[in-house]
Amino acid sequence: MECILNTVLVLVVAAAIPGLVNRTRAVLSGRKGPRFFQHLSNVRLLLRKGAVYSPVTTPLFRAVPSVYLGSAAVAALFIPVGDLDPVLSFDGDMIVFAYLLALGRTAIILAAMDTGSAFEGMGASREALYGALVEPAMMFIMATLALVFGFTSFADVFSSAQPLDIQLTIIMLLAAYLLVKILFVESGRVPVDDPRTHLELTMIHEVMCLDYCGVDLGMIHIAGWLKSASLAILAADAASMTFCLRWWAAAPAAVLAAGLSIGIVESTQARNKLSRNTTFILTIAALAALTFFVGYLLQQNIEIG
Amino acid sequence: MMLFHYLPVVLAAVTAAVFAAPLRAKVWVSLGITAAAGIALTVLSAPALIYGSAQVFESGGTLPLGFGAALSADPLSALFMILIAFTSISTVLYSKGYVGECLRTMPAAHISLHYTALTVMCLSMMMLVFCDGGYPFLFAWELMTIASFILILFDARRKEVRRAALTYLILMHVGFVLLLVGFVRVEMATGRSDFGALAEYCRTAGDPLPLIVVFLLGFGMKAGLFPMHVWLPEAHPAAPSHVSALMSGVMIKMGVYGILRVAAALPEQAPVTETVGMAILAAGIATGLWGVILAAVQNDMKRLLAYSSIENIGVVMIGLGVAVLGRCCGSDTIAACGMCGALLHTLNHSLFKSLLFFGAGNVYSRLHTASLDSLGGLARYMPVTALLFALATAAICALPPLNGFVSEYLIYSGILGGIAGQSSVMLSAAALAGLALIGGIVVLAFAKLYGVVFLGAPRTHDTVEHAGEADSWCIAAMAMPAAGILCIGLFPQAAVALTCRVAAYCFGARAGFSAAAAELLSEGSGALCRTAWILVAAIVLLAFMRRRALRGRTVAEGETWGCGFTAPNVRMQYTGESFSEGLESVVDSLTQNTVEGRAVDKSEIFPTGHSFKVRRKDRVDSLVAEWWMTSLRAINARMMRLRTGKINHYVLFALLFLLSVFLLSVFNLL
Repeated sequence: MECILNTVLVLVVAAAIPGLVNRTRAVLSGRKGPRFFQHLSNVRLLLRKGAVYSPVTTPLFRAVPSVYLGSAAVAALFIPVGDLDPVLSFDGDMIVFAYLLALGRTAIILAAMDTGSAFEGMGASREALYGALVEPAMMFIMATLALVFGFTSFADVFSSAQPLDIQLTIIMLLAAYLLVKILFVESGRVPVDDPRTHLELTMIHEVMCLDYCGVDLGMIHIAGWLKSASLAILAADAASMTFCLRWWAAAPAAVLAAGLSIGIVESTQARNKLSRNTTFILTIAALAALTFFVGYLLQQNIEIG
Repeated sequence: MMLFHYLPVVLAAVTAAVFAAPLRAKVWVSLGITAAAGIALTVLSAPALIYGSAQVFESGGTLPLGFGAALSADPLSALFMILIAFTSISTVLYSKGYVGECLRTMPAAHISLHYTALTVMCLSMMMLVFCDGGYPFLFAWELMTIASFILILFDARRKEVRRAALTYLILMHVGFVLLLVGFVRVEMATGRSDFGALAEYCRTAGDPLPLIVVFLLGFGMKAGLFPMHVWLPEAHPAAPSHVSALMSGVMIKMGVYGILRVAAALPEQAPVTETVGMAILAAGIATGLWGVILAAVQNDMKRLLAYSSIENIGVVMIGLGVAVLGRCCGSDTIAACGMCGALLHTLNHSLFKSLLFFGAGNVYSRLHTASLDSLGGLARYMPVTALLFALATAAICALPPLNGFVSEYLIYSGILGGIAGQSSVMLSAAALAGLALIGGIVVLAFAKLYGVVFLGAPRTHDTVEHAGEADSWCIAAMAMPAAGILCIGLFPQAAVALTCRVAAYCFGARAGFSAAAAELLSEGSGALCRTAWILVAAIVLLAFMRRRALRGRTVAEGETWGCGFTAPNVRMQYTGESFSEGLESVVDSLTQNTVEGRAVDKSEIFPTGHSFKVRRKDRVDSLVAEWWMTSLRAINARMMRLRTGKINHYVLFALLFLLSVFLLSVFNLL
């Protein structure tokens, strides 16, 4: 029962984040903007369309949307919303989560290479590099959770919620902050990439699916939402651990954290120069390592005291 | 088993059989011998694996230097036996198709020599795991080295092949001397020279660290540990593909086998164990990172694969380091996770790396180039090779639901378990960061390899004209490791249980070790199996729904979108070099680049023809190789002064020699 509620909440969060991003951007730029659920209608339209494939592509190109969406969906099954139980959970499921995201990333990189297009090759190359650099950051955050709570499964970490020490609160807030930053990288948002300029200027994420249309593009969009939602919920869980880790607090927190931060950053900042992205991501990794070590020091201190 | 009494006879019989066989039947003779020996010995050693205890085969005779000693198989050697037998058989089968192309152009004696060496190499590795240390072990080790040296020299007309083979031979003998010193030292101290004696030495000697370092260096040379890896990226591009597969899939694992033996010989809780554990972990991180970064910037298929082998050895060493450290601080589960991960990754790597080398061989035998930037779009021309290569690529990137993921998951579990359990947190964090970065960059390296070679549009006319599916023997040989990859990936329980038994044996079946750790591991592998099937089901379901949705709708064909540019051509595609440019800008200082020709300048509005060749060389390579070379040359130049070309001088040298012999014998010094 709990895991059904959990799954439904993940889906709701996934559907709500893009809506909130769009609304925030519209309000901040003084436009009327699209409806809250306009993106759902857009995808429904895509799912009703046919398809055009380049003659250069191989069957791999056609298989990738299913792999991409499948991996994102299975990854989302590991995510607990607040204190609810996710569908899947076992010791070490953090690692499985990270590698499922890697599976989706590899698949979409190969699909981009399959079109033989210079633009998509460019996107693939950058995605591969940024994906490689963001991996240590992700792992350090998971290691921090494992260190602080002594569990290696998301569900165990977040259901072990006891009143947190004030010092660990800082660690959890930092972890949440870094998860939101990783969300920026993983879903290709400003300042790493700018999804609004839909074609040539979008240098990483959107450029990789330039040759997809119709059903395939719809599946890729849904996978992207699920991926964002998974990371956003993790961030919200970590943050709401400090005051109230309940599903009715964590789910709205996830939508607000991701939606508002993406919306505000995109309305107020410009995209990084590409050469600065490497620094940006390495900074996240360095901060994650720092968080881990601070967590370790605090823990030592607590045990001694 | 009186193996060593009859060894000359066996070797002579193998040679005679291969040489006597008709040209086309040589491969079958070789395959017959390898398969018979492999299957027989696997069956013979299977009880060791099933019962988790050592099996000793009685020896009926006496020979000097311990050669008459009994052969034995324990769970560790039984596991490696499976690995050797499996990859050897698929390699010899693959060579049927690969060498078949050279039958007309090469002399028969050459082919015979090649198959003799191939058979002897497989046999020597099987022999190796049955020898419990000492001189018989070293003998098998040397036999393996020499056989592989001959195998590398297959295409000896090329100068770089001879050079690579010589480098290999020299470095392997440096390693051999280290091992010899190690075993002699053990024998001096304990009277025996097997691995059991090494364990005894570690317990009793005051400071066993120097000897262990000697062993680690000796075995590390074969395994390709940083910075002793320099022979690998030279030898693999030089050797024919099936030989690369055998060397990378099995032979370097013999180095790992040796290191595992040494690790198992360490006492349980001692300062030396902790030091060695840290050393192995550090070596693993350095090897893995160096290997994967260098792999990602290579532009030659086989060189890239060779560096990736180095990286995988690094991953295995990280697992082993975690295990040794875990054992040191008394945590069975960490030790079990690390050790199982290391063992399973060794097995997994032999599967996917041999498959990758076979795939590279298919490409090379059709197009006679392994340079990434002159290939492209091969999936269209060789679909089966492309499919199998994709499988191996996904497996080596440790993507679920394949086998590489299972072993990396185990290693990660060990590391995270260490962090969660508050034991050696800092070291675990270092291992975690290293492994995560390796995992990220390996995706880049292999997306580059697969994307540039198999996907996109062909970059040269050569591809269009000559590309075609490989010989069906080659495909059959490739199906073997592919099946292994899928089996371990989708049903990890059996493989994990097997490696768990080996791990328990290696680290001494202490009370509680097997039970608690095995339960944890079987739970973990069961969960992985469920996840794998859920993932497969999700993907298949989605693919099915997508297909249904597209039925009845317009599915058209249209050119790749060029963002409004109407005359795109294949030369605009991303090349291997441009794909890894971002990474190169970060890691530029690690490589030494040699550039031939001139790149197109930005100010050239209408560029004319340019030839531009860049090769990214290993800095360690030049450091090691050039230092040796320059000092050897200097010594040589000094010696050359003696060669004056005057007969009177030479007579004088002869006189001096006789005089010195006379004087030495007079003073009773000889």
